[in-house]
Amino acid sequence: MATTATAPAFAPTESYGGESGLWSWLTTVDHKRIGTLYLFTSLFFFLVGGLEAGVIRAQLAGPNQHLVSAETYNQLFTMHGTTMIFLAVMPLSAAFFNFLIPLQIGARDVAFPRLNAFSYWVFLFGGLFMNASWLIGAAPNGGWFGYAPLTTLPYSPGLNIDFWVIGLQILGVSSLAAAFNFITTIINMRAPGMNLMRMPMFTWNAFVVQFLLVLAFPVITIALVFLQFDRFFGTNFYTVAAGADPLLWQHLFWIFGHPEVYILILPAFGLVSEILPTFSRKPIFGYPVMVYATSLIAFLGFGVWAHHMFAVGMGPIADSVFSLTTMLIAIPTGVKIFNWIFTMWGGSIRFTTAMKYAIALVGLFTIGGISGVMHSSPPADLQQTDTYFIVAHFHYVLFGGSMMGIFGGIYYYYPKITGRLMSESLGSVNFWLTFVGMNLTFFPMHFSGLLGMPRRVYTYDAGQGWDTFNMMSTVGTGVLMLGVLVFVINFLKSYRDGEVAGNDPWGAPSLEWSIPSPPPEYNFARIPHVTSRYPLWDLKSPGLSAEVPHSEHGDRRIDVDVARTHVANGHGAWGGSEPKQAAEAGAHIEHSTGKTALELGIPMPNPTIKPLICALGMLVMFSGLLFIHKDRMPLALATIIGGALLMVVSLYAWVLTPLEDPH
Amino acid sequence: MPVTSRPRRRLAAALPALLALFLAACSTAAYPNSIFTRHTEFNREVGVLFQIMIWLGTFVFVFVEALLLYALWRFRRKSDDERPEHVHGNTTLEILWTAIPAVILAVIAVPTVRTIVTTQAAAKADALQVQVIGHQWWWEFKYPQYGVTTANELYLPIGRTVNFSLKTIDVLHSFWIPQLGGKRDLISNHENFLWFTPDSAGVGAWNGFCGEYCGTSHTNMRFRTFTVTAADFESWAKHQASSAVFAAPTTAAPTPGAVVGSATSAPAAAPATLASVSVPPASATTDAPSTAVGSTGYVFPQDKIPAHAVPGTPIPAGLAYNESLRGDADRGRQLLTAGQGGCLGCHMIKGNPSMLGVVGPNLTHVASRATIAAGLFPNDTRHLARWIKNARAMKPGVTMPTLGRGEYDPVMKATLPQGLTDEQIADIVAYLQALK
Repeated sequence: MATTATAPAFAPTESYGGESGLWSWLTTVDHKRIGTLYLFTSLFFFLVGGLEAGVIRAQLAGPNQHLVSAETYNQLFTMHGTTMIFLAVMPLSAAFFNFLIPLQIGARDVAFPRLNAFSYWVFLFGGLFMNASWLIGAAPNGGWFGYAPLTTLPYSPGLNIDFWVIGLQILGVSSLAAAFNFITTIINMRAPGMNLMRMPMFTWNAFVVQFLLVLAFPVITIALVFLQFDRFFGTNFYTVAAGADPLLWQHLFWIFGHPEVYILILPAFGLVSEILPTFSRKPIFGYPVMVYATSLIAFLGFGVWAHHMFAVGMGPIADSVFSLTTMLIAIPTGVKIFNWIFTMWGGSIRFTTAMKYAIALVGLFTIGGISGVMHSSPPADLQQTDTYFIVAHFHYVLFGGSMMGIFGGIYYYYPKITGRLMSESLGSVNFWLTFVGMNLTFFPMHFSGLLGMPRRVYTYDAGQGWDTFNMMSTVGTGVLMLGVLVFVINFLKSYRDGEVAGNDPWGAPSLEWSIPSPPPEYNFARIPHVTSRYPLWDLKSPGLSAEVPHSEHGDRRIDVDVARTHVANGHGAWGGSEPKQAAEAGAHIEHSTGKTALELGIPMPNPTIKPLICALGMLVMFSGLLFIHKDRMPLALATIIGGALLMVVSLYAWVLTPLEDPH
Repeated sequence: MPVTSRPRRRLAAALPALLALFLAACSTAAYPNSIFTRHTEFNREVGVLFQIMIWLGTFVFVFVEALLLYALWRFRRKSDDERPEHVHGNTTLEILWTAIPAVILAVIAVPTVRTIVTTQAAAKADALQVQVIGHQWWWEFKYPQYGVTTANELYLPIGRTVNFSLKTIDVLHSFWIPQLGGKRDLISNHENFLWFTPDSAGVGAWNGFCGEYCGTSHTNMRFRTFTVTAADFESWAKHQASSAVFAAPTTAAPTPGAVVGSATSAPAAAPATLASVSVPPASATTDAPSTAVGSTGYVFPQDKIPAHAVPGTPIPAGLAYNESLRGDADRGRQLLTAGQGGCLGCHMIKGNPSMLGVVGPNLTHVASRATIAAGLFPNDTRHLARWIKNARAMKPGVTMPTLGRGEYDPVMKATLPQGLTDEQIADIVAYLQALK
């Protein structure tokens, strides 16, 4: 264990130097607390989505089973997809964005702390709203892709699709607000000396993802507004009886939907790009190429959407073009895989749980990538699309990729968030169960798909050659759920009795590890001066990071300390001697002062309930739409107007309240 | 804490082996819907693409995973004092692993584009035209060159190119026969095309599915395709185009439980004659469950339908029907004509002037079909009677109303006070089973 023994422990309730009551959480504008709220909420939704998957797999364990009805099954798979994408993986990434971006760039908070709180509350309300549909037995049932005209009023007259449309609109507001916030934060609030090419890889990936969100979400918003107008106000955007072309929805949806895939995977890529160098004791291989590859993936990601639509009959030209752009996107993705492997190559690899998950991402995402190339070929895709082969493919991408990276990220950053390490022995059990369960669940789906099993079927007939593979998948899901259970136990147990972490339990290179765990509410008592990509390695092992580009030219101009000039010959210090060196280097490593921001004279934003009220007003306003379909117009109008009033009034009060006390 | 990476390594070794084994096995009878069967030029073209992609994919997989596992083993931490050299990149290597994948992709791209062009070219002018119309949740098939309208069962002549024109009457569906070709979506307000030639299919039965999620019973939107000889096809089509065989009242009811298509012999190639339609189906009294009769045109022999094409959907619990009842076909016809059960509102029986509906499947030759309810149940008394009694219990969300007296309608959420008795249903079944 490389745990530093010097740092004192902080019980989680004392985290972030603030108060700990319920009110403090409802009014918090601290990015770390908001990150923690995101983490807990999205893990909860992850478990909900997992249980939905469990019922799905139980139903499909054998042929002609009727554990749940067709209608319930359709709701389950719709909600499983919607939950995992919008309520689990995206907000899990948001948890890391919130917690890490300010810490990694050496800032004290995000650019708009209250907007950040608003984003969280909107997300929470959107998730609760969507799931409230279960209570009245009308959960969304049109698939996470909601293809028109099935989702239009004539074919889905119930409230199911209303919950889905409104829920997604609410969640979209949350994502967009957060994206603008993070873009502003990363552009404006980097510590002195941290130029773009010195940003940690996670922040780079997060930065790119925010642009994807800003560009992709307006498209789904428009698609949903059309659907909303069709359903509530009788317009004809998707009404086929009025001559509408249902491909309008498909194009709009996938122009959003494909970048969405990168919104889901790039944060995990970022986490892995932090974990692999730390546990290999080697910097990321080809940092600039990784940055360019990430940006290129994001850019090309907007030009491949119609590969989801090869079966709709777009004609040979469109099929060819989208096939080629899709193949093209495999190249930067492959570059990343090789760069990760060569980050480890020549390193000194320590197999912590976080590292195992990161390695699993590299290995498993490769499988998802290969099957992805297989359906970039339209004629072959006509035999694969809408079969279990696709289900296998995107679970290798989203579970083998996103979730593996996120699990790794949780193990890696848990000590920074809580001040305690997660148990490595439980972690090992958790990892191997998840790894085996994941492969046992999803690998057989390649076979059931190629053997002709369509997706989204609530049951299947016997004698089709699918029984064995389905049984394997179901058993695998059981193993996987066991693995997640061990994770939950580890997560909760370590919160109380995990080993005390100290500032930097892993020997990591980036700024967030230079401050106490959990960090004080102001993060950095003194804003650090950054001189390289690996500020902490500069301190601890300057000889080793000598090859990292240290462009002193720009640093001198903005009056930045250059660590190298301070620590001339401290080669080889990984262990316990860093505090001395830190002192020499100009306090790049901070130990807990035990003082609050106020005592230190650091201005911090005041807590406020107004973002929550504002988000609540928005929820009430959107919920009013449901009553239109229940033909209770006065009630609908009252709710919509009441919600809007609440939103506007709280927004007005919010804007008029200063962010900080005068100082 | 070095962790052994053996399970991963073993997995890496096992997967390609498994893949090879699988590729060898996939065309056998154990996997009746495998996409790797090459019964049409479409699947042969796709098969070539798959061949390229699976081998290249396996190569990439083995190479990457082996490299990863080797790196993990070779560079595992042996001592906490290790200070690896910090390497920040290698331009040559990075160019190499940008260029090599590009070459691999080019190898896939060229045949891909070529196959796109060949499979999406216009079908042969003399192709058999079939109009596919998707309904929630069944398939309507029309053969405009033959004047045939049928449902959920396709007959295709071996060796003749068939060109499907695909349309939907409601939501999106996707037409898919895995063993014969790829999917093509049915898009509202669009007409799509798909063609292939079942040249090496042999006489056989193939499962078809709806590939695009289309609502509650998406799962239950299946169909069957029978590939038959050209002569049998002509015989089948000629008969299917004719009016209902049932013309004169009969005194004898079909034996309950008798398999559909009950007749005496199976002269497969015997052409049907329209003149024979007035022959009352007296032969239906026999118990012999045979397959086709000269007078009713070719029907795919029941006993030759492979197991995977015989539906095994269980009957929902609690849906009882007295199977010992013997119905009277003529009484059944009179019931329908009188509007009992409202069948005439949706179904057509060509030759029966009161049965003119177009919403539901055309029933003119319903008894010649092997399945009912879009491939969900075998077309026998047991299932057909219950289907008439309570279709909504048999198939979730179905439009056809619950008709049996005292039955619970899961859509209306009410029990039917009036409706058809089991005796009336037996009569209707007898009539329908006479419609060969």
